[in-house]
Amino acid sequence: MSVARPSGAAGQAGPQLRLNVIGIVVISLFVALTTRLWYLQVMAGSEYKLAANENQVRTIYEPAPRGRILDRDGQVLVDNRISYVVAIDRTKFNDLEPGRAKKLTEDLGVLLGLPVDEVVKRMDNKRLGPFTPVPIAEDVNEDLLVEIRERQQEFPSVVTRRVAVRFYPRGRLASHVLGYVGEINSDELKKRGDPYRAGDLIGRSGVESTYEADLRGLAGERQIEVDRRGRPVRVIKHRPPKQGNDLVLSIDADVQQVAEEALGTSMATARHVRFDDGKWLKANAGSVVVLDAQEGSVVAMASLPDYDPGALVDGISTEEYAALNQPGDAAFLNRAIQGEYAPGSTWKLVTGLAALRTGLIPPNYTINDTGTYQIKNCKEGCVKRNAGAHPYGSVDMRRALAVSSDVFFYSLGDAFWARRGEFGKNPMQDMAAELGFGSTTGVQLTHERDGRVLTPDGLKELSTNEKTAKLFPFGDWYVGHNVNFAIGQGETTVTPMQLANAYATFVNGGTRYQPNIALRVDRQAGEGETPTVVRTISPRIARTLALAPEVRGPVLAGLRDVTRFAVTATGDGTVAGVFDGFPLAQYPILGKTGTAQATPKQDTALFVAAAPADAPRYVVSVVVEQGGFGSVAAAPVARKIFGFLSGLENGAPVQPVTGSE
Amino acid sequence: MGALRRVGRDPANPWQQIDPFLLLIPVLIGLIGVVMVYSATRNGLQIDGGDPYFYAKRQLVYVVLGAGIMAVSLLVDYRAYRDHAVLIYLGVLVPMLVVLSPLGSKVNGAQSWLVLGPVQLQPAELAKVAMLLALAAWFGAAQGALTTEHLFRGLLVAGLPIGLILLQPDLGSSLVLVAIVLGVVVVAGIKPRLLLALAMTAVLLAVGIFQSGRVADYQRDRLSVFLHADTETGGRSDAAFQLAESKTAIGAGGLAGAGLFNGSQTKLRFVPEQQTDFIFTVVGEEFGFIGSALLLILYGLLVWRIWLVAQGSRDMFSTLLCAGVLVMLVFQVFENMGMTMGIMPITGIPLPFMSYGGSAMVTMFLAVGLVLNVHMRRFI
Repeated sequence: MSVARPSGAAGQAGPQLRLNVIGIVVISLFVALTTRLWYLQVMAGSEYKLAANENQVRTIYEPAPRGRILDRDGQVLVDNRISYVVAIDRTKFNDLEPGRAKKLTEDLGVLLGLPVDEVVKRMDNKRLGPFTPVPIAEDVNEDLLVEIRERQQEFPSVVTRRVAVRFYPRGRLASHVLGYVGEINSDELKKRGDPYRAGDLIGRSGVESTYEADLRGLAGERQIEVDRRGRPVRVIKHRPPKQGNDLVLSIDADVQQVAEEALGTSMATARHVRFDDGKWLKANAGSVVVLDAQEGSVVAMASLPDYDPGALVDGISTEEYAALNQPGDAAFLNRAIQGEYAPGSTWKLVTGLAALRTGLIPPNYTINDTGTYQIKNCKEGCVKRNAGAHPYGSVDMRRALAVSSDVFFYSLGDAFWARRGEFGKNPMQDMAAELGFGSTTGVQLTHERDGRVLTPDGLKELSTNEKTAKLFPFGDWYVGHNVNFAIGQGETTVTPMQLANAYATFVNGGTRYQPNIALRVDRQAGEGETPTVVRTISPRIARTLALAPEVRGPVLAGLRDVTRFAVTATGDGTVAGVFDGFPLAQYPILGKTGTAQATPKQDTALFVAAAPADAPRYVVSVVVEQGGFGSVAAAPVARKIFGFLSGLENGAPVQPVTGSE
Repeated sequence: MGALRRVGRDPANPWQQIDPFLLLIPVLIGLIGVVMVYSATRNGLQIDGGDPYFYAKRQLVYVVLGAGIMAVSLLVDYRAYRDHAVLIYLGVLVPMLVVLSPLGSKVNGAQSWLVLGPVQLQPAELAKVAMLLALAAWFGAAQGALTTEHLFRGLLVAGLPIGLILLQPDLGSSLVLVAIVLGVVVVAGIKPRLLLALAMTAVLLAVGIFQSGRVADYQRDRLSVFLHADTETGGRSDAAFQLAESKTAIGAGGLAGAGLFNGSQTKLRFVPEQQTDFIFTVVGEEFGFIGSALLLILYGLLVWRIWLVAQGSRDMFSTLLCAGVLVMLVFQVFENMGMTMGIMPITGIPLPFMSYGGSAMVTMFLAVGLVLNVHMRRFI
């Protein structure tokens, strides 16, 4: 130390040494501060910058109204309406003193008619972010809303909002096709990620689900700069929400309505008919599919029982949901694509085409139908009968289809098995697969089922698979299986949609479509402007089948005779009576009935038809569960629909029926 | 150490012996503080419809007042202060007693303000200097090693104001006094055994005070936030919020800072009490690491000069006086910056020369003035 020191200073060594110690302590404290500064600002600086940004900017999402859903003529099937929501802003609520908060929940409960516990429970919504107000009551009366706003001082932290919710101008019409929307759950949220957020609505079934991306729209975003107390300082950015696009369905609302009403009426009528077992027919459920066979689209799709989608808008309780899903009554089930039924005699299309195209029989092949059929080389259960053992006499393909001779088709099943060395084990199954059976049709709807077309190898597999071995203990395919298969009994199941699509494929000359449920997506325009087309949904062809005239001809002729009287010496077409009085000369209808055993349930009634027969455009398939004879419970539904489509019955013509389009 | 050699200047003329560092650094930091106070308060004042310069103007007055009082204090030889230390000491005890009476005002939970018309005073601030003077005079008069009896009498001198401040209760200020006492007794030459005993007593006392219920809830919160940083326990209290926002502001400054008046945490007033105890967060956010480090260097320079004066002083009283000022300055800088960065618990200790407030400003200028005084008169 060379400090200029005054002489005689009290510069003892002691205090100077101790000052050095203090100096060292001071240096280390400054080093500590600098180190900490370095860490906070340089090493962790970017994180803190992010945090400061988040602090500063609050993003508020404004959900977009979903697009509307229209029928093919522009009739609105799903629209939006305003629902008033009362919600609590939890950031503000938590700032309230406990006494005030308690009073608020009580007052709010009284106003909304909710117990306090329920208010508290709804407030504890863990799915929503802390800044998103939690809805306490939805769809509240507008007067109540005004009251809350007028008494805002008494309801601090309570906010009211207008939100768009689904509205169904046609009520239950086409409820299964339309589907419904619900709040996104955490699993879906994880799977979908951006741009979905908790509290968003998402299509849960039907086209609401399959066209989610078009209908959803784009949520608005409001970025607000806020201060420490969360008070907005200024709006940084505002992007208004963009409503989703409109979906134009191929469904014709008027045809849909006729189909639903006709089905309901027919089921009600069937319940006044006794079944073989002496009990009344249950006719508890049914479905209708109307396809445009030329366009490859769905014109109507009905399923009963149905549900009221409007009742789901505010959410339903678990009990209500369970009621809608009750076995046997499952109203949520879209039976047109989810119901799997034995096809019965409607299957004869498959067997007939298979026999003709493989050359198993010549087109003019004829047998004498005595009402019973004895399976050759058979040990047990070898005698098969027509319904009521009715003898039809001399029948060929055409007549066998018209009167629905089982004996004729038994013989084909028998012959196919006998000559499996020549045609393989699956000639009928192959035909079925080409017509689209055994796999989904690909219509843009959720949860479509496959149905089942069993092959000998498939049966073997089922009997050896642990999971299915109990249901199929015997893995060997005998001639009996083949004979049963030929008339659509046994293990074969089809959906009404598959049935309609297979017939559509046949009648349009061999083009199998993946039926479309929608025609296009439109961007809605302002008042008086025409909407712009966002995209057109083109027909999708699954495959084309080569059906030679000598194969297609006899089958087509047989199906045409189904609606005619006196097609054989002893019999009429199976639904000649049903179509009695219908102007078939103007609008010929072809079809096929089916009455399928569904033990232990009562028989399934089926009817598939197409018209006009010369150049079929529409295909209608009707299935009534536990409906008895197809001709009784199912065919009358088709008559009503064709009557409407042709404009020849029940009202003026809707549109001119042309050959093809 | 050449800086202290004032060749060609008259050692007998104190005014030629003034250390410009000691004179100018406090003024410089004070002026920076005025700008920082303005940055921290202008938006809030504007929103409330007030004059955005309200606090800045007053802070400028405090700086000028502090510098002026310091200048006036230099007119008197420091030994005069030593000789009247008892009088000064007792003179400060009076307002400290008054403040505890109903005449005092409560701010932030502590009965610490004395309002005399337009003037508001925190006697605890002045007590720091008064107690230091008395302690330095007492221990400076002792010759040779510190006896136990001497020590205890000295502690009694210190204990009275500390006790009165704890009664307010102002934990922060009393901690500063304790630090000063420790600094002074260490330099005075306390025996290690006694120092240990003293330290342990201080710790026990601190624990006792904490358990006594004299400590306000907010102070418990502050400590628990510090002890359980980033955990659930402290997560929701005001103190936790304050600390989180404080760290965010400083951290967001990054290397170069957001720029003057550009810090979002500051602009949007996310840091509570930012113009007073948390003024450093403005420096941190708007000037970044570079600016903060420069401020630290300024404080470091000041401390270094005080340390040099302590080393070069002519008598024990001067050494102890300077050491006390040094400890007071360093303790307040470290505790204040440390708490804003989460390495010290939050206590209401202002940042010297920067935090908004007159009493603390004047006290700090007075303290540095004493050091200047010692330095300029070291030859006479």
